[in-house]
Amino acid sequence: MSSSRARVVMIAGLVALAVAPLVIDDYAATILARVLVFALFAASLDLLVGITGLPSLGHGAYFGAGAYAAGWVAIHVTTSAPATLLAAAAVSALVALVAGSVAVRARGVFFLMLTLALGEIAEQLAQSWHSVTGGSDGLYGIPASRVLGVALTEVRWFTWYVLAVFIAGMAIIRTIVASPLGATLRGIRDNEPRMRALGYRTYHYKLAVFVIAGAIAGVAGALLAAQQRVVTPADLGFAGSVPVLVAVIVGGEATSWGPCVGAAIVVVVRDVLGPSLGGHSSLVLGSVFVAVVFLLPGGLARRRGSR
Amino acid sequence: MSHARITRRRLLGAMGAAGALAVLPSCKGRNNQPGGGAGGRIKIGLVVPQSGVYAPLGTDMKHAWELWLERHGGKLGTFEVTTVIADEGESPQTGVPAIQKLLQSDQVDAIVGVVSSAVALGAASLVAEAKKLLVIANAGAADITGAKRSPYVWRTSFTNAQIASVMGKHLAGQADIGPVYLIAPDYAAGAEVIRGFKSTFEAGGGKIAGEARPPLGKTQDYQPFLTGIQSSGARAAFCFFAGAEAVAFVKQYEQFGLSKQIALYGSGFLTEGSVLPAQGDAAIGIQTVLHYSTELDNPANKAFAAAWQARFNTQPAVYAVQMWDTASVLDRALGSTTALDGDHLFKALGSVGTIGDSPRGPWSFDNQSPRQRMYLRKVEKRGTAYVNAVVADLGETAPVT
Amino acid sequence: MPAWFDNHLISLLNGLAIGSLLFILAVGLSLIFGMMDVLNLAHGVLFLAGAYAAWWVAGESPSWPGFLAALAVAGAVGALAGIGLSLMVERLRHRSHLAQAQLTLGLTLIAADILSVVFGNDVHTINPPPGLDGSVMLLGKAYPVYRLALIGLGALLASAVHLIVERTSLGALIRATVADRQMVAAVGVDARKVKAAVFAVGALLATVAGVLGAPVYGARPGLDGTVLLLALVVVVIGGLGSVRGAVVGALVIGEIDTLGRSLLSDLASFVLFGALAVVLILRPRGLFGAASGART
Repeated sequence: MSSSRARVVMIAGLVALAVAPLVIDDYAATILARVLVFALFAASLDLLVGITGLPSLGHGAYFGAGAYAAGWVAIHVTTSAPATLLAAAAVSALVALVAGSVAVRARGVFFLMLTLALGEIAEQLAQSWHSVTGGSDGLYGIPASRVLGVALTEVRWFTWYVLAVFIAGMAIIRTIVASPLGATLRGIRDNEPRMRALGYRTYHYKLAVFVIAGAIAGVAGALLAAQQRVVTPADLGFAGSVPVLVAVIVGGEATSWGPCVGAAIVVVVRDVLGPSLGGHSSLVLGSVFVAVVFLLPGGLARRRGSR
Repeated sequence: MSHARITRRRLLGAMGAAGALAVLPSCKGRNNQPGGGAGGRIKIGLVVPQSGVYAPLGTDMKHAWELWLERHGGKLGTFEVTTVIADEGESPQTGVPAIQKLLQSDQVDAIVGVVSSAVALGAASLVAEAKKLLVIANAGAADITGAKRSPYVWRTSFTNAQIASVMGKHLAGQADIGPVYLIAPDYAAGAEVIRGFKSTFEAGGGKIAGEARPPLGKTQDYQPFLTGIQSSGARAAFCFFAGAEAVAFVKQYEQFGLSKQIALYGSGFLTEGSVLPAQGDAAIGIQTVLHYSTELDNPANKAFAAAWQARFNTQPAVYAVQMWDTASVLDRALGSTTALDGDHLFKALGSVGTIGDSPRGPWSFDNQSPRQRMYLRKVEKRGTAYVNAVVADLGETAPVT
Repeated sequence: MPAWFDNHLISLLNGLAIGSLLFILAVGLSLIFGMMDVLNLAHGVLFLAGAYAAWWVAGESPSWPGFLAALAVAGAVGALAGIGLSLMVERLRHRSHLAQAQLTLGLTLIAADILSVVFGNDVHTINPPPGLDGSVMLLGKAYPVYRLALIGLGALLASAVHLIVERTSLGALIRATVADRQMVAAVGVDARKVKAAVFAVGALLATVAGVLGAPVYGARPGLDGTVLLLALVVVVIGGLGSVRGAVVGALVIGEIDTLGRSLLSDLASFVLFGALAVVLILRPRGLFGAASGART
């Protein structure tokens, strides 16, 4: 696909998404919003997994931290949407900075395990710190966000809000990927010792992308808090980190829209089909993973050249 | 590579088509028609865990709902019931989408069920905004029907502190009880139970020997805590465990020799349902407090237990009774209303009065949660089966926060 | 003071017992992950299958013949599953850990669902076989005999695996295949057969561990996730690539978890993953991690 054709397809897609809330019903709009939130979350993880070669099994910690921050601000300070998004980005960036400073020293499977451990610790913290997070009952009763003074209780307007943040977030991610920073990160992914030999301080680059990915995940978390009106510790640990990693792998690492497709699959199977599968959603999900790993190596979206 | 490209494109095309087909039915515009009313039909969403650690409770609840409808011609009041089942899963991650689906896609008139308190609390905003009735058939957190409750959220189960406070009062009244050790998993329900117990126990002059909070879901080995109980000087222990943790704790309590030295008391879930046969002999002699036992001697329970045994070849547990009562109160409420919107339903629910024919004995709503009798039970072996024999009726209690 | 010491002596002993159980449940993963470098996330569900096999074959109160039969059945199931896994993983041998994770995770989800359909969702308990099902008095307190037996079993297993890997020609073959596949093929040995054999043994160890662990853990849905996390923590802490690492990792975790819960009751929930994080921060390749062998 040539890049101008790709651009046309992308614009057509965005137009379709923007028009969708006008023609589909409330439930489909809710699902669309969920997909967009999860897609932003997955795209942020792909910055780590696909672009920098850091397979994180604990990305839910930053998503959850952002969700808690946004929820807490909405309940105790203000329901203004920009404020909640900012709080989410700030808190999750901070958590990512602290966690990342130790995590990015590790490589490969040890990085995987360390991020898993940090995610589990974050989940446990959320459960123990019940004065702020509500503990295992979760942070519930989060009020609707307000944009320009209008409370987003109507599904249509909420979906547009999510779409706007999603587009902004994806634009940031695409810009990073196409920039010299992105090239450096891919270099670290492909051959870190060589990058170091060339004089790059790889630790700092890895930490930087870890924090950026964490912040974007936090913003996605803020959107989840506004949509679901409840945040629980389960969103931070293993249960919150595995589905998004799966979405990235199934969709296609280091592709432009692979993580979004993967996210759509996970959300549809888990949230749309899941309630009606009589408890057998894991069977369906597992079959999808096995099928994709054999039939579509590299994921659903095609890897383009040196991306 | 071209072969792979064709396969990939075909697969993507097929998925896109499937996705479009799935979305097409939703392109009918936004008309949220209220269900039922004119034709005498009502659509109820049944939210129960069908996978994960709470699945056995979900099965019991589903069976109870189905049994009630079977025995009442498939009707609640004068309305024919269509049930839509949604899998609650283990946490709001799955529970909230399930409820959103019931509200927005299936457009149910009311929702019943819900085992997890986190899901119940999270769903409260959703049902309040949608103005639909939610009747909780298990979750026990106080805040669900606490001071900031929504009029749309009702409960036919219990509050965590309600059960524990009755045990606390009972033990405080035992002359030779000695210091009591408290142990419950480290989460919100555990904290509510311990708080409820302490409030009545200490007020009655009881002494607490110590407390422990094993990590929830991460503890398979209780030795450090059991040793702690032994060295605290406690003469009795009060605990709150359910499911797999109840089985592990009771068995290890016996293996480490505590069952012979330190009497074990618990919130009824410790020995309720399928965990009791799994505990086996290790459970004999444990005394618990709960608002139900299969051995309750009232006509409604005799009929209910017999019907359950005949239909499912096993004995019912409290989870089934709570769901049975949910159907029962909805039946009463729908007998006195013609409109099915949430406002009419919750007003009707508020006027059902005392439910006199429940297997658990007579009970009524008090601030949208049951005011009910609590029973002291003791595990006994009868032949090859284990039962919670009823030792005493500890009177009626209001929901406790 | 004496009472304090007594309590913690029991906890020390229990840490040893739990550590032995952890080694038994992790050694299969240590072989497959550590030696074959395959991230086998199906390890937990293999354990669970073994536990259900114990309940189904031997029942709740097994006799010795029943228990041994359960071990045999679990072993057979494990070996077959291991060969099947090896065939599937072989097709992914040029791809990353994440692809292996995806495959084995998918298989886990499918297998866990099948197990819950076949055996139901209730919690099942299995008592130890006769003779091992009581408690002995230690320092005036009762301690379950079966846990003491686990210490012995763990030691036996560790010695057996160590002997086989270090001292036999099969072990040499395994180590050679890990180090240099092409050379082994040049010598005329089919590396796929060696890999299948190691997989079979690793999976067999997982299912047998399910039977041996059943008197402590029981059999229930969700146990696979719990066991997988524990096994991963043990193997990673100990360092990939050596069974000795798995032994040390298991004992360290067993002691830290048990003593941590009795000494630091408020922080009990953080002990396990806190310990993993600390070890990986200080020693990023685990306590005994070798720089060679495992592809990172």
